[in-house]
Amino acid sequence: MASSANSNIVPKLYRSVMEDVINEVRELFLDEGVDEQVLMELKTLWESKLMQSKAVDGFHTEEQQVLNAQQQQQAQQAQLTQAQSQTQQMLLPPAQQAPQQQVIVQDPKILQHMSATGMSAAATAATLALPTGVTPFQQLITPQGQILQVVRAANGAQYIIQPQQQMVLQQQVLPQMQAGGVQAPVIQQVLTPIQGGLSQQTGVIIQPQQIVLTGNKVQQNTQVMQAAAMAVQQAQGAAQIQAQAQAQPPQQQTQQQQASQQQQPPMMLQVDGAGDTSSEEDEEEEDEYDEDEDEDKEKDGGEDGQVEEEPLNSGDDVSDEEDQELFDTENVVVCQYDKIHRSKNKWKFHLKDGIMNLNGRDYVFSKAIGDAEW
Amino acid sequence: MAYQLYRNTTLGNSLQESLDELIQSQQITPQLALQVLLQFDKAINTALANRVRNRVNFRGSLNTYRFCDNVWTFVLNDVEFREVTDLVKVDKVKIVACDGKNTGSNAAE
Repeated sequence: MASSANSNIVPKLYRSVMEDVINEVRELFLDEGVDEQVLMELKTLWESKLMQSKAVDGFHTEEQQVLNAQQQQQAQQAQLTQAQSQTQQMLLPPAQQAPQQQVIVQDPKILQHMSATGMSAAATAATLALPTGVTPFQQLITPQGQILQVVRAANGAQYIIQPQQQMVLQQQVLPQMQAGGVQAPVIQQVLTPIQGGLSQQTGVIIQPQQIVLTGNKVQQNTQVMQAAAMAVQQAQGAAQIQAQAQAQPPQQQTQQQQASQQQQPPMMLQVDGAGDTSSEEDEEEEDEYDEDEDEDKEKDGGEDGQVEEEPLNSGDDVSDEEDQELFDTENVVVCQYDKIHRSKNKWKFHLKDGIMNLNGRDYVFSKAIGDAEW
Repeated sequence: MAYQLYRNTTLGNSLQESLDELIQSQQITPQLALQVLLQFDKAINTALANRVRNRVNFRGSLNTYRFCDNVWTFVLNDVEFREVTDLVKVDKVKIVACDGKNTGSNAAE
């Protein structure tokens, strides 16, 4: 493969830089009295943006863990769906039909559904707290006091993170909250019937890059809820902003966006149409002016040289830059120079320690030598 | 201080965006964000200097050049970047290069 060498280096390099930075600033965060959660959020945001950029083939270790967790959960789901639960039932009406149903939760509706379902687990009643508008992250508090976190994966798949079968407390299920830096606005909840009192399996596939596992003890609902609430609030806050800031068409496309998705993609550069963001007023005026001038000129038969000058001058502008602004990727190389040499119009470049973004992909080099003619 | 040059990269921009979001939600202060970026500068400079060991060649035609405040900015056209295993062609590329001999000067990107 052409880019095998560089594409092996870059993800690891980025990972190591990220880890270094996060570790170094941990102290700074603590000094400022900022919670570690925020640091984790920063990391999550950072990673997710890197993923989105597709400039790197990055795979975070945590994400790999998530994928493993997904597989496990899927396997467990299949088992659980067969043995339907007794007392503990976390069911979404649509989800009841199939073992791995992905119900797209769209805020209030689904929440209502959730609360309406017969949740008769040992824990308390479920409350779904969805941030209004953007809801990348949802916290579900089941009637049984289990706090489920609905995580929106990067790929637009949202899953409710439900506790896996691990610890069994009498008739309570241990929810494993996974609060991740959720990206996708759409939440897909995969709920499976819960077996009587013991295990609660959820086809929760977590794709977000980072998932923070918060072990909760169902026994102490208040603690769980508090802890989860704190985590959720922070995540929600960040997630909201995330979601607001994220205008990811692919994510939105993969998800059924209906009423709940009130997110609007962030302002994108729009060059034409009603929402034109670039200042084309001047150009439009010029065009109109030119057209008028042309018409006048033709009518008048070209009286003076003045009439001819305007159209001539208008063509002097080089519209190169405008085309290039439209271009998605500006190929950029950011580096340091060892030596720049020129002979007549022959230039030689000796560069080092550079990061390149070419055709949307990232490359790095420790040395680069180039030639160009001016 | 290390060059702030690398903030305008995929890695740097994603970090800045993330920090901006946290500032928006008032989870961190701008001052703290700045500290994080400074730390990022150090980390990326060190990583590039120590952890990367590959070489690239390129050839193209020079469209523009600028040398200001000890920073070279070039725009090249029809460029081929060649690594041992690799060939990447672009129609246009902008190269921004800070002085590699003196990393003491803190040049903005």
